[in-house]
Amino acid sequence: MDSGDDIHDANDIESLNEDIESLNDNYDNYDDDAAAADYFDDDDDDDTHPAKSRRIEQSFTILKESDIRQRQEDDIRRVAAVPSIPHGAASILLCHYNWSVSRVNDAWFADEHEVRRTVGLLEKPVYDNPADAKELTCGICFEAYPLSEIETASCGHPFCFSCWGGYIGTSINDGPGCLLLRCPESACGAAVDQDMINLLASGEDKDKYDRYLLRSYIEDNKKTKWCPAPGCEHAVNFDPTGTGKDYDVSCLCSYSFCWNCTEESHRSVDCGTVSKWILKNSSESENVTWILAKTKPCPECKRPIEKNHGCMHMTCSQPCRFEFCWICLGAWRKHGGSCNRYESGEQNETEKRREMAKKSLEKYTHYYKRWASNQSSRQKAVADLQEMQSVHMKNLGDSQRQTELELKFITEAWLQIVECRRVLKWTYAYGYYLPDNEQAKKKFFEYLQGEAESGLERLHHCAEKVIQVFLSDDPPSPSEEFNDFRKKLTELTNVTRNYFENLVKALENVHDGNPCDLDKRPWGAGAMMNEMKE
Amino acid sequence: MANSNLPRRIIKETQRLLSEPTPGISASPSEDNMRYFNVMILGPTQTPYEGGVFKLELFLPEEYPMAAPKVRFLTKIYHPNIDKLGRICLDILKDKWSPALKISTVLLSIQALLSAPNPDDPLSENIAKHWKSNEAEAVETAKEWTRLYASGA
Ligand SMILES: [Zn+2]
Ligand SMILES: [Zn+2]
Ligand SMILES: [Zn+2]
Ligand SMILES: [Zn+2]
Ligand SMILES: [Zn+2]
Ligand SMILES: [Zn+2]
Repeated sequence: MDSGDDIHDANDIESLNEDIESLNDNYDNYDDDAAAADYFDDDDDDDTHPAKSRRIEQSFTILKESDIRQRQEDDIRRVAAVPSIPHGAASILLCHYNWSVSRVNDAWFADEHEVRRTVGLLEKPVYDNPADAKELTCGICFEAYPLSEIETASCGHPFCFSCWGGYIGTSINDGPGCLLLRCPESACGAAVDQDMINLLASGEDKDKYDRYLLRSYIEDNKKTKWCPAPGCEHAVNFDPTGTGKDYDVSCLCSYSFCWNCTEESHRSVDCGTVSKWILKNSSESENVTWILAKTKPCPECKRPIEKNHGCMHMTCSQPCRFEFCWICLGAWRKHGGSCNRYESGEQNETEKRREMAKKSLEKYTHYYKRWASNQSSRQKAVADLQEMQSVHMKNLGDSQRQTELELKFITEAWLQIVECRRVLKWTYAYGYYLPDNEQAKKKFFEYLQGEAESGLERLHHCAEKVIQVFLSDDPPSPSEEFNDFRKKLTELTNVTRNYFENLVKALENVHDGNPCDLDKRPWGAGAMMNEMKE
Repeated sequence: MANSNLPRRIIKETQRLLSEPTPGISASPSEDNMRYFNVMILGPTQTPYEGGVFKLELFLPEEYPMAAPKVRFLTKIYHPNIDKLGRICLDILKDKWSPALKISTVLLSIQALLSAPNPDDPLSENIAKHWKSNEAEAVETAKEWTRLYASGA
């Protein structure tokens, strides 16, 4: 069908590609499996831990529950290596000092006496029970019990098992404060440790306490956080001394997020912009419903068209066949693949008379539509990739006589699409907040964004639609045609990757603090425009 | 009714309260609910509350002694740590509660609070302000209120 166009496009890009590649040589730390690590836990190549394959230098580690318990136990043991600190006391000390072994050690060796007093680790009992007593009176129920049915913390205050159980249970049900539980005696600060909890609490309470202790290890520790994906129980340990200000973290559950703000990954756009944008979206949520409509009338014949593909290039059904852009509803050919510029002058006379409020909504709508379309397009791409891997790959392998390795280019293309949709999505939040008066910066950004977007549209189109002929019930037999397809898709993948790397680098340099430097970079506006013209 | 399975601890405490009363304090359980106590505290000497008889209510919730008793002044009182609904700002009634504390210790603490108002941890902002800006005048008002509302009717 329109494959002629695409080949033409691909050739154009190919020549550009080489130019860009030369600019790119300085930074090729982005390996091919990078995107894979973001979204799929690929079990088949086990030597590359998904969280490890992402960057050469890894600044985070994903922790499963067993890893968390292991690390917690290791830390407790390290503190308990001091002969005067038993295991239970070590755990309490760590709770008090945000699970930092070095902080515990520093405090302990600076002033052991003071630490003991504040944390409640008494050296000897403060309450002397008569030495020859056969029975003691419980301080809560006031009943007398034989010594074997009385328990005390390090202070010596006697309570019966049942009152201890009630006291501990009440505290555990009050929340994580139970981790710093003290003796029930009024104003006695003696700590109640996990050994006592295990001896005196009910099974259910013990489990709850155990959960709180585990949570505390992640939540009170500055270097760890829970993965924010719903239902995911993994945690992340982040080493801030690692690779500078790269906060991208990808969990084993396939969710990737920003360590700093725990929002979904937004590499290239800073956390402040993301949180402003998310807040904006929730305050505009009513206006957004119509923006997200799944069907739109064909701009030519007005028949409703449902968007069920990921790319924005729409083709109306027979006999109209009008090709248009889903976002702006303009003829596809007119903007040649990218649709990213918001023109504040594009309204006609009547529209100009609209109030400012309306205008700002229009501006927002422009960016929101594109942000949201890329978001859903990305979700669709994730699903398509899964279908590709679970269903089509095998059939393709059979019909085109290709090995798994020979078909890897398709997976790579889809991973690139998924990653690029995410990046592109966030650049629209960035674009929304770009001040109108910084025209040069805005133009350059929109230029790079436009290039990236049109590359991505061609790639997405190729991976989603051009491939269809090989997936049909009656696919062509192994042929040159498939080799052409491979060549084209591979080229589009490479060129799109380069476009996006340029976009990301430019944005990262901008919010590294010095937007004026933009033009001095080797890929700065001037240089880039010249390369493009060649 | 509510008295059928009264914990032994509450029975013991009640017996002790009745047999060994603290000077200036009386507490007796209500006839139809043994968890509800009618309390009277005499204003301590050398305080603006001297000569007053203050009525309070004290209730032992289901969770007692794991949870603190609920106590409230019924008699109007001019005091920076007691508001106009009679609620008392006292740490052992909140986060400093311990199941090893008793009704008698709670009432003793309230009596002590009358002797030592603490305007730095106020419950009633206006009274606390008054207390800090012009203590003599605030004390006069407290005396006046004692005469008006707590004169042992
Ligand atoms: Zn007991
Ligand atoms: Zn104690
Ligand atoms: Zn996760
Ligand atoms: Zn962030
Ligand atoms: Zn049409
Ligand atoms: Zn468009």
